Amino acid sequence: MRKSKWWMASMSVVLTAGLLAGCGSNGDAKEGGASSPSGSSESSGNSGSSGSKTKLTLWGAVPAEAGPQAVIDAWNSENPDIEVEYLRYVNDDGGNLKLDTALMTGQDADLFISYSLTRLQKRVDAGVALDLSAKADYDIDAQMGPDAALWKIDGKYYGMPTKKNMSFIWLNKQMLDDAGLPVPPLDWTWDDLKAYAVKLKKDNVYGLLQHDSSYTATLDGTIAGLGDTNAEGKSNFNNELWKSHLQTLHDMMFVDKSTPEYGEQLTSKMPVDTMFLKGEAAMLSAGEFIFRNANNLAEFPHDFQIAFATVPRVTADQKDFKYPGGLGDALSVNAKSKNQDAAWKFAKWYADGGMLPMASGGRLPSSKSVSSDEAIKLLLQGVENMYDVDSLNKVVFGSFESFQLSIPQQVIDARKEEYEKYFLNKQDLDTTLANMAKRHEEFIK
Amino acid sequence: MKRHSWMRKQQWAGYAFILPNMVGILLFFIIPALFSFGLMFTNYQFANPNVSFTGLDNLKRMFQDDQFYRAIKHTGIFLLSVPVSLVLAFLVALVLNRSVYLKGLLRGMFFLPYISSGVAVAFVWMLLFQPSHGPINEALRWIGIASPPGWFADSDTAMYAIDIVQVWFMLGYNMIIYLAALQEVSAEQMEAATIDGAGKGTITWKIVWPLVSPTTFLLLVTGLIMTMKSFAIIQAITQGGPSGSTTILSLYVYKTAFSYYEMGYASTVSWFLFAVILVITIVQWIGQKRWVHY
Repeated sequence: MRKSKWWMASMSVVLTAGLLAGCGSNGDAKEGGASSPSGSSESSGNSGSSGSKTKLTLWGAVPAEAGPQAVIDAWNSENPDIEVEYLRYVNDDGGNLKLDTALMTGQDADLFISYSLTRLQKRVDAGVALDLSAKADYDIDAQMGPDAALWKIDGKYYGMPTKKNMSFIWLNKQMLDDAGLPVPPLDWTWDDLKAYAVKLKKDNVYGLLQHDSSYTATLDGTIAGLGDTNAEGKSNFNNELWKSHLQTLHDMMFVDKSTPEYGEQLTSKMPVDTMFLKGEAAMLSAGEFIFRNANNLAEFPHDFQIAFATVPRVTADQKDFKYPGGLGDALSVNAKSKNQDAAWKFAKWYADGGMLPMASGGRLPSSKSVSSDEAIKLLLQGVENMYDVDSLNKVVFGSFESFQLSIPQQVIDARKEEYEKYFLNKQDLDTTLANMAKRHEEFIK
Repeated sequence: MKRHSWMRKQQWAGYAFILPNMVGILLFFIIPALFSFGLMFTNYQFANPNVSFTGLDNLKRMFQDDQFYRAIKHTGIFLLSVPVSLVLAFLVALVLNRSVYLKGLLRGMFFLPYISSGVAVAFVWMLLFQPSHGPINEALRWIGIASPPGWFADSDTAMYAIDIVQVWFMLGYNMIIYLAALQEVSAEQMEAATIDGAGKGTITWKIVWPLVSPTTFLLLVTGLIMTMKSFAIIQAITQGGPSGSTTILSLYVYKTAFSYYEMGYASTVSWFLFAVILVITIVQWIGQKRWVHY
């Protein structure tokens, strides 16, 4: 009895396997059958002689309604032979995994936008990003300016950085005026900011809030100047500037109480941008994406003007501090796409002005072919009076020496775990810095 | 002879019926599982075509990895939620099995968490455990505890706070199963015990508890397996933080695989997790003779 059961079981496995194989080959045959006509239509699409359409898919992380839809609608009406579809992915681990899976398995992803150098690096390693520096008809260095070079990987462009990245301190001008404080100078330091925060805090009003994405702006800008490692290949994470900066933040949390305690901010998932626009904080450290909400007076009503300051450096004599900013939104062509020529055509159009509808959300094109006046006009349309023009021009439209973070995610996470322990008072500052350096070295070993 | 062929036919029909399911299991479970076993011995990075065999390097790395050991410790703390939830569920089921007012409503209320969305549950608990003005800490301050714990905001307490959520989450399911088991306990036995002079406590722990032991065994085995694999609540509440204090083994696998794309190493850790679950289950299976009464 037992024997026959076993026999049956193994038989059924064999059977299923057989059926699977059948399925597989059947699927292949179907695919092969379908691919020949579609292949021919693609080639005709590329040559542009026949009337058949080429279809492209663009993957990006900006919600379609915040600009991308308007961008591709404009393209589709101008280019009836090449139809572009926009697919939004969320720029987190899950979303990037989805994009990488699509790229790897050759699903519809002809164009994609990467938002950090580390993510782009992975895609280059996977061989799915086309080398755009090989294209003779577009000079990325000349079009995008000197900051573009930070996006080079092994001396080549695998994505073209299409927008100006910006991160700065948003200031509630009304509160500054009430406290008799001027808009801070461009070269201010964290000590200055700390003093501002103390003077600006009130009941139910924080001196400073920091958005997650800007939390490490000063740490990153400092290490970008120092270099990740020193001449002997040892980690530079254990440096005096980081020590001073972390100490300042710790004091602001626990001594001055001018910024939320770390645990508090973490567990209540503070909506810092909304709080700032509601007048619950005098200063906000965040990127240009806040414009999307700040310009939306219907959903985020506020009556104060917003002024801007740079992300402060740690000390006044800090020489090689780099500002968070530079360029972003690296648009790449999938090296496995069958419609690379059409995709490249779209990419050039997008960078050289096609992306303008996204300017109203704060995404200013980096290409010199786009008139910056036009982009700024779009950005400030209808809300001209809501911003302090002087600091807007100096900070938002100013130019600063920038960087692109190329530290691997594992090291960024390890660093975060260590400074979290310090901010949660589980570990003293010296141990924190020593551990950051130790874990960094363990990774690069 | 005739009967035999008829049986055979029926058997084939049976296999035909389970075939779609088997194909699914094979395609989406068994083949990937075997594939991941192979990945253990490679340095495969997701989407990266450059793969080489690295032998036992991943295993060596695992046994030297501080974060791996930390994750084991956190998993251990997480597993505490299983027995705690079982005992609580048993007690609640006992009460609800008697005639109490609003029995149906109470039963529904205890079961509600189990059918709620994990993310919604997570947000509710984040509000409740909010360290400075959440209701739990407000209540603790009101009864005179000056500095109540930081719960999710404190790396020393976060894992235990997660345990509390998990106990609450599992309570309803365990309770329903216990209720069903309690229906089977015969009234005669209890009556006999009462006549012999046994008190309520004695009846509960010497008679009822052993009688529902098969249920306890089932819930313990499935509970431990489920708890070891699940991290949805943790991902929703703390994402493994603060400073890694709630990263359990399964979440560590997830991060290594889908955040760092280190598929080879992630496969190694996940096979370790599988081995642990297997060993625990076997031990329970063997150990059941001592305390499970069918």
